[in-house]
Amino acid sequence: MVTRADIENMYEKAKTAVVKATNLQQLDQVRVEYLGKKGKITSVLKTLGQLTPEERKEIGQAANKIRQNLESDITDRQEELSREEVAKRLAAESVDISLPGRERVYGHRHLISQVIKEITDIFIGLGYKVAEGPEVELDYYNFKALNTPADHPARSLQDTFYIRKAGVHPADDDIVLRTHTSPVQIRVMKSQEPPVYIIAPGRAFRRDVPDPTHSPMFHQVEGLAVDKGITFGDLKGTLEEFSRQMFGRKSQVRVVAREAFEAGIAEDGPQIRLRPHFFPFTEPSAEVDVRCFACGGVGCRICGSGWLEILGAGMVDPNVLIEVGYNPEEVSGFAFGMGVERIAMLLYGVPDIRMFFENDTRFAEQF
Amino acid sequence: MLVSINWLKDYIDFDLSPEELADKLNLTGTAVESVKHLGQDLGNVWVGIILDIKPHPNADKLSLATVRIDRPETLEIVCGAKNIKVGDKVPVATVGAHLPNGMDIKPAKIRGVTSYGMLCSRAELRMGADHSGIYILPDDVEVGVPLAQALSLDDTIIELEITPNRPDCLSMLGIAREVGAIEDRKLHKPSVDLTECFEKTSNVASIKIIDPDLCPRYSARIIRKVKIGPSPTWMQQRLEKAGMRPINNIVDITNYVMLETGQPLHAFDFNTLHGGKIVVRRARNGEHLETLDGVVRELDESMLVIADADRPVALAGIMGGEDTEVSDKTADILLESAYFEPSSIMRTSRSLGLLSEASTRFEKGTDPNGTIYAADRAAAFMAEFADGSVDKGVIDVYPKVIEPKKVPLRADRVNAILGTDLSLDGIVNILNRLELTAEVISNTTEMWVLTPTFRPDLEREIDLIEEIARIYGYNNIKSTLPKSGDKQGGLNLRQKLAESVKDRLVGAGLSEVLTYSFMDPNDVDKLQVPQGDPLCWFVRLLNPLSEDLSVLRTTLLANLIKVLKYNVNREQYDVQIFEVGHTFWHESGKDMPDEETMLGIAMTGAWKSDKWYDKARSIDFFDLKGAVESVLDELSIANWSVRQFTHPALHPGRSAELLIDDESIGYFGELHPNVQSDFDIPRTYVAELSFNRLIDNAKMQKEFSEIPKYPSIILDIAVLVDDPISNDQVLGVIEAAGKPLLKSARLFDLYRGKGVPEGKKSMAYSMVFRTPDRTLTDEEAFNAREKVVGRLGKELGAEIRE
Ligand SMILES: [Zn+2]
Repeated sequence: MVTRADIENMYEKAKTAVVKATNLQQLDQVRVEYLGKKGKITSVLKTLGQLTPEERKEIGQAANKIRQNLESDITDRQEELSREEVAKRLAAESVDISLPGRERVYGHRHLISQVIKEITDIFIGLGYKVAEGPEVELDYYNFKALNTPADHPARSLQDTFYIRKAGVHPADDDIVLRTHTSPVQIRVMKSQEPPVYIIAPGRAFRRDVPDPTHSPMFHQVEGLAVDKGITFGDLKGTLEEFSRQMFGRKSQVRVVAREAFEAGIAEDGPQIRLRPHFFPFTEPSAEVDVRCFACGGVGCRICGSGWLEILGAGMVDPNVLIEVGYNPEEVSGFAFGMGVERIAMLLYGVPDIRMFFENDTRFAEQF
Repeated sequence: MLVSINWLKDYIDFDLSPEELADKLNLTGTAVESVKHLGQDLGNVWVGIILDIKPHPNADKLSLATVRIDRPETLEIVCGAKNIKVGDKVPVATVGAHLPNGMDIKPAKIRGVTSYGMLCSRAELRMGADHSGIYILPDDVEVGVPLAQALSLDDTIIELEITPNRPDCLSMLGIAREVGAIEDRKLHKPSVDLTECFEKTSNVASIKIIDPDLCPRYSARIIRKVKIGPSPTWMQQRLEKAGMRPINNIVDITNYVMLETGQPLHAFDFNTLHGGKIVVRRARNGEHLETLDGVVRELDESMLVIADADRPVALAGIMGGEDTEVSDKTADILLESAYFEPSSIMRTSRSLGLLSEASTRFEKGTDPNGTIYAADRAAAFMAEFADGSVDKGVIDVYPKVIEPKKVPLRADRVNAILGTDLSLDGIVNILNRLELTAEVISNTTEMWVLTPTFRPDLEREIDLIEEIARIYGYNNIKSTLPKSGDKQGGLNLRQKLAESVKDRLVGAGLSEVLTYSFMDPNDVDKLQVPQGDPLCWFVRLLNPLSEDLSVLRTTLLANLIKVLKYNVNREQYDVQIFEVGHTFWHESGKDMPDEETMLGIAMTGAWKSDKWYDKARSIDFFDLKGAVESVLDELSIANWSVRQFTHPALHPGRSAELLIDDESIGYFGELHPNVQSDFDIPRTYVAELSFNRLIDNAKMQKEFSEIPKYPSIILDIAVLVDDPISNDQVLGVIEAAGKPLLKSARLFDLYRGKGVPEGKKSMAYSMVFRTPDRTLTDEEAFNAREKVVGRLGKELGAEIRE
């Protein structure tokens, strides 16, 4: 005969077993032992028929209550155990977050390409297309059509790489390594009617022995605009806009020194300064200084005076326009050119032009 | 050009500091190289006079000088030099001086005697190299004044870079004129006050120009009974400031007047000229002349000489001759002031490699109408400072007078080119400031501008517009942007594709390099290329810098291999690079060299380094092929294939040719071990592909294709095949046999070794079967697989591994 006390005693034992279960398996064993089809509590309930109605009611109610309690105890314990198990697993799975990530391998564009792209993007925004041409050029395109006098020093064997030279006097079909990318301008003008708005990035060659500031090969970006009513003011405005985007304070890329802000120069002063100069293919011609991006124009170790000489520019000489078949009374134009290595050296503090062509991976990886 | 500010002020008044003046010159086109304040570091250096010299009591080689400056007491100074005597005026540095050579002067005990200063040499004052003795000052300096003042060193020197189009600025008067134009001030050109004697120049000398095309004008004067000696101190000082060495009064005067006016002059010792004759003619082939520098020069008929009755006596416009040079014994002078044709002077000067102050001026163009003024000015100086008497009149041979040019100018054109709004008066004012006269055509805004002969650069309207812009100020012109809206910027399609290929390679782990367009011709030998191979069709430079840069590159590979080597030599062992650049070749019989854009790739070392999660793996052929494939993928080129390729530079079993359709685009592979050892580099993989042809074949049209609606069935198959059978062959059979249900197949395992017989390999493929319109049954897929198995067996002798 089971008594109420037996049942309560059974419950106490079961409860102890539930608490003692340290994993879900043990807990399940407890559940089977007491609540399974042949479990202890189930068995008690099965024997109720042998009891008197009073006893049946009393024992039945007690057994049912205990069953419910035990079920709820098991559920609680089950949740607790699951939580513990998850926590344990997570603890076991934790990693050293300071270990380096798995490397994604990628390379680097050459710094010169990056600077050319930066310059190109600005001029594309100003409405320019990109033109290209051969590195081996005829004297005609490289010199003559650009109004270069026959006895100009640049035409000497001392300064220019020749592949063919008929004699002392220049001939149109002498062959040279182009000394600038300007011959591209001639080729473009000869192949199309105005308006022309192009830039010509590319390699150029001069017969300089390599040293920290000279290289027999270097890169240039030259630009040309020919249209009705192009003025010297347009040249200034274009270069000003270019310089503002490339070097200026509003170009997000460059950080202008604090002193410059404090001096108020970077904010208010002009971005460029033009100095008259002489080039055979432009007139009027100018050398163009850009406000130093390192100090903002107050003068520093890089610039000295607050200005950096960056560009050569001018109005296309009427002789050049006539040479390509344009009428200088109808259209006018401006041209400009800049050395990419020089700009890259200034912008990134590269001390020696030869580093661009040594291609040391430790150099490339910095940019 | 070195310009002394004090000297400049002889000709023009201005109220600018040297720095302000430099700035203004800079911004109007006369580039300033430097501004140097003289005498700044000569504080506490004075002119002293030596009153007594005694031997040093304790040292044989030293003496004790008693010196007076502007003080009642005298100074005792220990001195080592021997070139001083009582009464000499010398520079005395007193206590507190900080000399230009860095020396600080303090009272010092020298062998027991206290010295209260120092007598200075030129070297110690940085006024020359001479440190052998004390600098003995000219007699006419005042004792007690600061040395800087005594030597006129309270001055500033501006160094100017004169562009070749402005020969007029190679003179003090030219610079002064420029300053006058900038500042709108009038130039004071010195007037010449010349007293002539009765003898007529033309009675004693004769001048003949045989070649007036090379010498349009020759003017000369005779100055007699000159006394050769030093020129006045002020003149010597000015010459020194201009960077010239004083020699004697006659030579100094010719140099001084050249610096002042820009007109080179030459003084002949008249009595050495045979027949009292000057003949300006071309040299005869084989004639010789010993020039002032002591070199005997062989002449030819392209050169212009000044000859006397018998022989050449000077290289016209370049350098005088030794025989007719002014010497201590010279009494009578023939002074030459001529105008020579610039290009002839330039040619002769270049071909002889002989430059002089005169030739640099003549070759850029002097003023043909300035010869008389310069001759008169110099003659007057010779009368004054060499006691000469000047013969009456100038002999002036000037067969065809060179007139100022008349250049048309339209005010509207000025404004149209510059984008300015200048008035007619404003324009004329600027022209006048430059000594250009404008004749305005009445009732128009057009004019004729008379350009003086000292401005040979002003020939066209645009030249005048530049002048106006310069003086108006480039930086006063308003900035605008071109008004035309008719322009669209951007890269064209090819340029965009080129950029995307390069970026893709960078994303694939390769770095872009740029190497010279030159190469070393010997490198093709290292590449084992036979004679006659297109890689040897060099484009040679006539004037290379060196043998290893003497031809244009026929291949990118040599330079790329050298980049690897450069890095490996510097402990950078894992290098993967590419370059897109031109190669050049010269086909025999063709006129122009050919030029093509190529893509080169080179790799060596490991794919990544050892990592905590992974071990390093050496780069192999398939890393290279993967890079090539990424380019093809970027350009959406599908119709490509590879085939075995033989190239002397490449490993015969590890090289491939890339074909698009049936056209060869280039090759890639492992460098042959011989090439590796010739270049002394580790195992290396290279590719060289025609970049142009790759871009040509880019598939730009991309089209959407349906994403599968029904599930696929994926079945694997593993086969044993003979080793020489390629993946392409197996795949070919699988793809042909699996149609139409087979959608794709890929190799996922390749195995040789245990369990696989010698000479065979096991290849496992994963095949995807699908139909577009319904769910495929397992049976259908298995049947298709069976068909594949059968065909592999029949066609390739493949055994199925289960
Ligand atoms: Zn700066």
